[in-house]
Amino acid sequence: MVNAKALLTTTFVASTVFAQGPAPTPIAPPSAGGAVDISVKQRPTLTPEEMVNQAKDYGRNMTEVLKRTQTLQDQAKREKDIIRLNCVTDKVVQVRVNISIAEQSVAALQEAVMRADEGERTHEFTRLTIVNQKVQVLGAEAENCIGEDLSFVGATRIDIEVDPNIPQYDPTLPPAPGIDIERPGEASPLTG
Amino acid sequence: MNRRLALWTVLLTTTAASPLAFAQQGQGEVTIGYQGLPYKASGEAKTGIQVSDTVLMHVGAGAEAGYDSNVFYEDAANARGSAIMRTSLFADVSNATRAGASGKLMLNARAGATYRRYQSDDPAVQRFQNAWMPFAGLALTTGSGQFGFGLADTFIRTEEPPYNPVQVPIARYNNQASAELRWSPGGGRLTGTARYTNMLDFIQGSYSYGTSMTNQIMLDGSWRWLPKTAVFLNLTQGFVTYLEEPTPKVPSYPLRITTGLRGLITEKTSVVVALGYNNGFYSSGATTNGFLGSTFVDLSATLRPTMLSRIVVGYRHGFENSLISNFYYTETAYASYVQQIANRFALDISGRYMFKDYQGLYDPTTPARTDNFFQLGGTIDYFVRNWMYAGVGYALLANDGEVTATTPTAPDVNYIKQQVFVRLGITY
Repeated sequence: MVNAKALLTTTFVASTVFAQGPAPTPIAPPSAGGAVDISVKQRPTLTPEEMVNQAKDYGRNMTEVLKRTQTLQDQAKREKDIIRLNCVTDKVVQVRVNISIAEQSVAALQEAVMRADEGERTHEFTRLTIVNQKVQVLGAEAENCIGEDLSFVGATRIDIEVDPNIPQYDPTLPPAPGIDIERPGEASPLTG
Repeated sequence: MNRRLALWTVLLTTTAASPLAFAQQGQGEVTIGYQGLPYKASGEAKTGIQVSDTVLMHVGAGAEAGYDSNVFYEDAANARGSAIMRTSLFADVSNATRAGASGKLMLNARAGATYRRYQSDDPAVQRFQNAWMPFAGLALTTGSGQFGFGLADTFIRTEEPPYNPVQVPIARYNNQASAELRWSPGGGRLTGTARYTNMLDFIQGSYSYGTSMTNQIMLDGSWRWLPKTAVFLNLTQGFVTYLEEPTPKVPSYPLRITTGLRGLITEKTSVVVALGYNNGFYSSGATTNGFLGSTFVDLSATLRPTMLSRIVVGYRHGFENSLISNFYYTETAYASYVQQIANRFALDISGRYMFKDYQGLYDPTTPARTDNFFQLGGTIDYFVRNWMYAGVGYALLANDGEVTATTPTAPDVNYIKQQVFVRLGITY
């Protein structure tokens, strides 16, 4: 019984060893002179000033998106397209909320720059970037809002197809005004 | 009414060919005989100068050159031929776009002139070498729903050689003005039309005694029992007075009361069937009388076999005012064929026959006279562009009359007049 157990154990261990194959070549440790950076970059390489300028660009872009969505909202109001108006209004509200968040981030970013707080500065800039992307997506969604023309069947409409052979004029009208004049007949004593 | 203006243009350029205004409002343009220069291109050509958002102007110019076989409508032995040229200019302004009318109020104004010249070495012909014939028209219509209103005025001057070369030309200044009120209560099934027409007809030359003024009142009621078919009752009363003294002409008050059918009987065929009573009520001399003399018949059928062709045939029995007698009874048969080919060619062939039985002749030596009058016209135009055309035309006028005279020799009123033309023009 003891022998049988030993044989079974040996068999499993041997099988495991054979399955692993040859051992991999160990990676050489980085040398001090030829450094290769294979780590994922976690932090932006922008300077504080560049971050502030970029944040201002984001702000302008988001404001333009807000204006554009408001234009779309006015257009839907004029066309009395309630379905499209609801869709666009929802996007406008979301854009405003995100812009509000972005404004807070810009303020926090500027404070972090003044305090030279790199961690806070990076955090606020990252948040601002994400908010900006979200606003751009909302702007695109507002452009694609679909109105009544596709989703609303509208009022009942009757199309009449008239045989083109039927004349367009009204033949039941009385004769046109006008009295005929024609060359008088020849009468010798009076007219030569 | 615009179509009526178009009719006048044709009339102007027809000169010797007496146009037949058996036009029906709306379908108008049924002119028998030689057709004048085209007013618009055939087919669905969209032409016209858009002067502003709501003002469209058409302009055109054309020239015809050819030969007239009988300038003075003389018998075959004495016929004098001559080369003939005609040039025409016109402008037409309306408050419309190329797509159609631009409002409920439609206004159209038109003016133009034709210059005719006989080119001949014959001194008799040279006396009548040049003739200027201006024309103008104005039409205003408005209407929507139950009421409609229209005003129209057309003026034309015509000048033709006389029957006898020693006479002066027969020049005529004709102005016709009309006002119309239309009422269609309910869904338009019933329509009432009231119209007043005034015509001033000034004649110079041998027929100046026929200068006249005609006032005419028309009342028309129709019941549309199908969308484009109606039965009607029409009353027309005229008041004809003569303005020159002395004149053998006497005032008359022609009355016509008719009833019948107007409109489509199939998708491609429309008819006019009018039967009724008429009376000239001439104040002295001969006047209409008897069953046939008091009967008016107007039968017309228009068939459109295809969208590019139209055939019209018709017959009319009645009486007409005359310048050489009180009036004449008339039997008229006519036919017209219009065909457009490939949206480039426009063919028009038409003809009519009239039998005239004169009553109350003013020439005391000719107590009776009948005329068999034939008229034929054909034109074919090729539209090089939708605003430019070239074509040829032919016109025939012939009279075969029988005159009963108290003199040994009865006047010869027979003639054959033929005209051929080549023509070229633009209309935009």
